[in-house]
Amino acid sequence: MKKIVTKEEPIAKDQLIRLLLTLQEDAVGAITESTESVDTLRLTWLGKNSEFLKLASSMRSVTPEDKQQIGAVLNGVKKSIESALASKQQLTNQQAESTADWFDTTEPGEQPPQGHLHIVTQAIAEITDIFNRLGFTRVRHPEIDWDWYPFEALNMPHSHPASDEWETFYIRYPGSPGKEYKKQKIVLTPHTSNGQVREMEKGVLPIRMINIAKCYRRQIDISHTPMFHQFEGLYVDKNVSIGHLKGVLDYFAKHFFGPDRTTRIRPYHFQFTEPSFEIDISCGICHGKGCKLCKEGWLELGGAGMTHPQVLKNGGVDTTVYNGFAFGWGVERTYMMKSNSNLDDIRLIYGNDIRFLKQF
Amino acid sequence: MNILVPDQWLRDFLKTDATPKQLKEYLSLCGPSIERINTVNGEIVYDVEITSNRPDAMSIVGVAREASGILPRFGIAATLLDDPYTEKIHTEKKDYKKIPLTITTTEALNPRWTSVIFDDIKIGPSPSWLVKRLELVGVRTINNVIDITNYLMHAYGQPAHVFDLDTIHQGIMKLRPAKKGEQVTTLDGKTHTLPGGDIVIEDGSGNLIDLCGIMGGKSSSITDKTTRVLLFVQTYDPAQIRKTSMNLAHRTEAAGLFEKGLDPELVMPVFQKGIDLIKKLAGGNIVSEVTDIYSKPYKAKSVVAKRAKIDSYIGVHLETKEIQNILSNLGCKTKITENEVIVTPPSFRRDIELDVDIIEELARIYGYHKIPTKLPDTEPPTIYEEPILGIEQKIKQKLGDWGYTETYTYSMISKELLDLVHYDEQETYMITNPISNDWVYMRPTLLPSMLMAIKQNTSFEQDLKLFELSMTYAYRKNNIPLEESTLIVAVSGSRYGKIKGIAESLFTLFGIPLPEMTEPANSSYQKSRSLRLGIYGQLGEIDLAVLQQLGIPKPVTMLELSIDRLLEHKKSVTHYTPIPKYPASFEDLAFVVPEKTHVAPMMKKIQTIDPMIKDVSLFDSYKNIRTFHVTYQSSTQNLTKEEINRIREKIISQMKKEFGATLKN
Repeated sequence: MKKIVTKEEPIAKDQLIRLLLTLQEDAVGAITESTESVDTLRLTWLGKNSEFLKLASSMRSVTPEDKQQIGAVLNGVKKSIESALASKQQLTNQQAESTADWFDTTEPGEQPPQGHLHIVTQAIAEITDIFNRLGFTRVRHPEIDWDWYPFEALNMPHSHPASDEWETFYIRYPGSPGKEYKKQKIVLTPHTSNGQVREMEKGVLPIRMINIAKCYRRQIDISHTPMFHQFEGLYVDKNVSIGHLKGVLDYFAKHFFGPDRTTRIRPYHFQFTEPSFEIDISCGICHGKGCKLCKEGWLELGGAGMTHPQVLKNGGVDTTVYNGFAFGWGVERTYMMKSNSNLDDIRLIYGNDIRFLKQF
Repeated sequence: MNILVPDQWLRDFLKTDATPKQLKEYLSLCGPSIERINTVNGEIVYDVEITSNRPDAMSIVGVAREASGILPRFGIAATLLDDPYTEKIHTEKKDYKKIPLTITTTEALNPRWTSVIFDDIKIGPSPSWLVKRLELVGVRTINNVIDITNYLMHAYGQPAHVFDLDTIHQGIMKLRPAKKGEQVTTLDGKTHTLPGGDIVIEDGSGNLIDLCGIMGGKSSSITDKTTRVLLFVQTYDPAQIRKTSMNLAHRTEAAGLFEKGLDPELVMPVFQKGIDLIKKLAGGNIVSEVTDIYSKPYKAKSVVAKRAKIDSYIGVHLETKEIQNILSNLGCKTKITENEVIVTPPSFRRDIELDVDIIEELARIYGYHKIPTKLPDTEPPTIYEEPILGIEQKIKQKLGDWGYTETYTYSMISKELLDLVHYDEQETYMITNPISNDWVYMRPTLLPSMLMAIKQNTSFEQDLKLFELSMTYAYRKNNIPLEESTLIVAVSGSRYGKIKGIAESLFTLFGIPLPEMTEPANSSYQKSRSLRLGIYGQLGEIDLAVLQQLGIPKPVTMLELSIDRLLEHKKSVTHYTPIPKYPASFEDLAFVVPEKTHVAPMMKKIQTIDPMIKDVSLFDSYKNIRTFHVTYQSSTQNLTKEEINRIREKIISQMKKEFGATLKN
C-alpha cells in the first residue's frame, strides 16, 4: 500500500481525485486479500483515523465549483469500499456455514458407465498396435474358406501326415462343386495361414501383413476350444533373413510381454515354411533360469518359419527375387501367457459368464 | 511324434561325455527337441519330439546321429557308434533243403522285401537286458522272437515282422491291394473290414495273413509252439499305409513310421541285425536263402544351393570349411565352389530336396541362436488398413464406454437354435463332422447366441447390458459364405428407447439418417414393439414366445446392425459450418395428437417448415400430448418476436393440417 501524504494547505482538484482513486484501488485490494475481520477492516479504511476521512476533510479547502465533482468521486469511492466490505462479510458468513455443516467426503462418487471389452478384443488391439509400428497392416481373410487355401496352397496335400495336426471341420457343400480345382471343398479354417496365399494373390509386394481371425478345430479341453483366434504375420521382401524374423519376434515379445523378456527359435517342421521354427519366450518369473512355473526357463510361444518357395509360387511371387517369413500364434494362449492371471482354462474365455467378463 | 530314448541305450550308439542336461539343451537348440528328462526305475529316459519330415531320426540311432553332429558344435566330443549303414552283410550261402515258399509282390506297394526262414526256434522269455530296454520305451515283453522285432523298430526306426511259417498255407505269400469288403483279423484280435486298396498278404488258402505295415494277422502269429519262423523286413508305399491306417482308425507305431516313408537302404542292415539276434536269443538255424526283392535300388540325387542365398538367409558369411564340416557330419557328400554348394544327401535324408532344405541344415547346426537379430531395414509397403477393422474397434470402444459388456459366443449353433429363428436349414452352412450337437450350423444371425448368453446370466445380474460384434454367414450357392460384420446389442427389460438411442448414435457415427420406416422387425421380435432399419438391421423387444421357448423369464430388447452395410453407405461426417453469429431462441410447443400418430414424421415435418428452424427434439411424450423443443436461429440477423410468431403459426397450421394435432394451451 502506498502511503498517502496529506497536507493542510489547499490541494488541487486533480490531485485530490487521483489520491481518492488510488485509495479506492488500495482499499478494495487490501480488503479482498486480507485475513483480518470485516470490523477491523472497516475501522482501517472508513474509521475516524482512516485515510478516507482525512481526504474527505480536505474538501474544506476545495473551491466551491470543484466541490460537486469531488463530492461525486468521494461517494463513489466510499461505495466501492463498502461493497468490498460487504462481499467480504458474505464470504466470511459462508465459510462459517460450511465449517458448521458436516459433509461426508468418503461417500462414493458417481461413476461413468463402465462396460467391459472382451479380453480377446483387448489382446487383438494390442497385438495390432505393436505390429503397426513395424509397418505391418492388419487384413481380413475368410474364416470359412476353400480347403485349397489352408492346405494345398500351403504345400500340404490333403492326405499329408502334417495335416493331422489340424483337426479340421468340414462344411456341407452349398450346391454341387463345379470344375474349378481350388473350389471342391469348404472348411472352417483351422489356422489363419489361409491368408498367406490370399494376401499374395492381391499382387502387391513387398508384404507386411498381420491377419487376425477366428479359427476352428475339433478339440475341446482345458487348453483348446473348437473356436479360437490366431494372429498370422507374413513378411515378403528381397533378401529376407532368419535374423529379420528373430528381430520382429523379439520386438513383439518385448513390447507385448515386457522389456526384460527374450525369445529364441528352435528347429521345427511345418510344410509351409523352410526352415521352420518353434518360438520360445523366456519365463517372466525366472528369466530363463528355470523355475517351478516354467520348469525349463522357457515357454513355448508358437510356430514360425521362412516361407516355403512352393507357397510363394502358389501365390504368384517370383522366388528368384523375393523370399519371406511367416508366423502364426493363438491369441488366447499368448494373452494367457502375458497376464500371469491364474487364467488356466481357455474354455472360460468363451463361457460368457458375466462374472468372468466383468473382471477385464 | 514323440519317442522315448533311454540314456543307456542311446550311449550304445553315441560315444560322448555329454550329460543328460547338456544333451537336452543342445539337441533342443539345433535338432530334435528333448521335451523332458524322465527317470524310470532309476534309469534316465528322454522324451524326444521328432518332426514328421524326419522318420530317419525316429529311433535311438537316429537321435544318436543327430547328437553326433550337434554336440561337437558346443565343444563336446561325440561319435556315432555301430552305424547300421556300415553293417557288413554276411548272409551265408548254403545248399538249403528246399522249403516251398512262393513270394509275389509289387514294387509300387512294396519297394523292398526281405525275408528268411529259421527252423528249430525255441520260443521263450527274452533276456533281462532286452526286457528292461523295451519296458523303458513302453513296450510290453511277449516272447524272445517278437521282442526282437520291437527292439529293431525302436533301435533303428525300421519295423520288422515274424510269421509262424507253418500257418502259411501252401507256402504261398502274395502281397496285393485288398478288395473292398475283405476282412482281416489282426494280432490284437480285431477284425477289420477293408475299404479296398490296402496292402495285404494272402496265403495259399486265400486267407489274409498280414495287414502290411500296420499289424500282422492273428492266424499267422507266433505262439509258444512255433518252431519255424519267417523273419520279414520291408518298406511300403507311405501314402497307402496312411490311408488304410486312417480309414480303419488303427494307428500303430509301425504305421506311424511306414507312412512317413522309410529308407529301403536301411532294410538290409536291420534284417541282418534281426538274423543275428534271433540266432543268439532263440537258437534258430537259417534254413532258407535270403530273399531280397528290391527292383528299383536307391539312386542318390544332388541338390544345389547358391552360397549368396545361404549367406542371405543366415545373415553371416559361412566359410567353405564350415559348410563342409556341418554337412559331412550329417552324412552328406558335398562339392563346394565359390558360388555354389552341391550336396548329395544320404539315402535316409529324402527330406533334403531344395536349396532351402540345405539352408535349414546349415542354419540349425550353425545355430539359430548365433544368427544376428535385426529388424528389417527396408521401406514398409504403402498399404491402408481396411476401414471395417478400425470401425469395429471404434464401435466396441463406444459400447464399452456406454456401459455394455462384450461377449464372444461360438460361431456354431445347434439345430434347435437355428429353428428358433426360422432360418432355412438347407441354406445354412453346416459342419459335416461336428463334435457336438450344440455346434453344427454356422450362424446366419447372432440373435440366438445372444439370447443364450442372456439366459445364462440372467440369474447373476438383473440389468444385463451385453453386445457382440462378430461375423454372420450368409448363404451363397456354390460358394463360400458372405461373411458379414454384424453387431448385436441386448438389454434386459422393455427398453425400446434405450436400444433405439444406441442405434441413433451409431447411425450418426456413419452420417446415415435412421431409415424412415414403421415396419416391424422379423418374427423373433414383437410385432408391435420392433422396427426394421432398412438394409441395416432391426431392433425391438424380443417375441415373448421365443423367450418362453428358451426359458428366459424377463423381457429382452435388442438391436442388430450390419456394420459392413453401414460402412458401405457411410457419408463423410466431419465438415465445418461457421459458428452462428446471432443467438438462438428456444421454445417448447405441446400438441394434442389423435391416437396412433407417429411422432417421427411430425418432427421431420417441423424441421422442413422454415429455414429458421434449426432443431426439433421431443421434449416430452405423455398420453396424447407431444411436446417439442424447437430452436429458432438465423445466420443473418437477430430473430424478432414477430418473426418467431410467424414461424410458430406456420408450425401450428401445418401440424393441424397434416396430423390433426392442435396446440395445447
